[in-house]
Amino acid sequence: MSSTYYYRIVGKNIELWEYVASGQYDIIGDYRIRLPVDRSSENLIYPNNAIDNGLMFEGTAYIEPFVNADPNELSGGAQPTLSAPTGAPGGASGTVDNTDEEEWHINMSRMLSLAIVDYCKAMMSDLAAKLDMKEYYMREFWKKVGDERSNKRIASVIFPHSPYAVK
Amino acid sequence: MTIQEIMERTHMKDTALCVAWVKDAIHLIESQYDETIGTWKTDIIDASGGTDNKYPFPANMIKLKSISVLDTNDNKYKRIKRLVNKPTVVEDTDPNE
Repeated sequence: MSSTYYYRIVGKNIELWEYVASGQYDIIGDYRIRLPVDRSSENLIYPNNAIDNGLMFEGTAYIEPFVNADPNELSGGAQPTLSAPTGAPGGASGTVDNTDEEEWHINMSRMLSLAIVDYCKAMMSDLAAKLDMKEYYMREFWKKVGDERSNKRIASVIFPHSPYAVK
Repeated sequence: MTIQEIMERTHMKDTALCVAWVKDAIHLIESQYDETIGTWKTDIIDASGGTDNKYPFPANMIKLKSISVLDTNDNKYKRIKRLVNKPTVVEDTDPNE
């Protein structure tokens, strides 16, 4: 059924279209006979079936960027239990002062946290009109983000031996 | 790493500004790489016209990875393809014909 749907991106929305192939036939006796004149057609129509939870988006998101515990340390040998603190995005609403915010942990790996430090330094350089320093720290930022990504990739390299190779 | 540690490393004094920049940095990272993946589901309605076939992107989504539709035959989500061009739309003024 999913193969009969298509989407198109229109600004902040998607348009969902359903693909239908239709043809015309006549009933002669008990038989349905396709007419010799080709009247079949392929169309995109508005979806004509209601499906509960039928449409699913998958993407990167701003999900609990701040948490109440260090996400890079085990808690008693087990994975830490993380939750969004009060006032943080995704957490319960409530009054938050500066002291509370300073205790928030960034819900990212240590390498990405270090990259964020470089980003903050770049923005401070930008405010001070030190654009060469800003460029330097932004380069460091993307370098650390790239390092973090490559840390999770396992690449294996195979060297073929020639038939008469001395091993 | 806490916000306080970032402020100490960068010699910042404004907590609100530090939090805002951290959010910007997270946004940049999520725009380029698949660090935190989320899924959102919504009902497909039986469209009758107008903007019934329009569905908004999730508010907190940063980068789209895929869109799927529930296959009611086997109860599994299956990816659907994107149309590049706008389809030709002809209004069906008399559906009984």
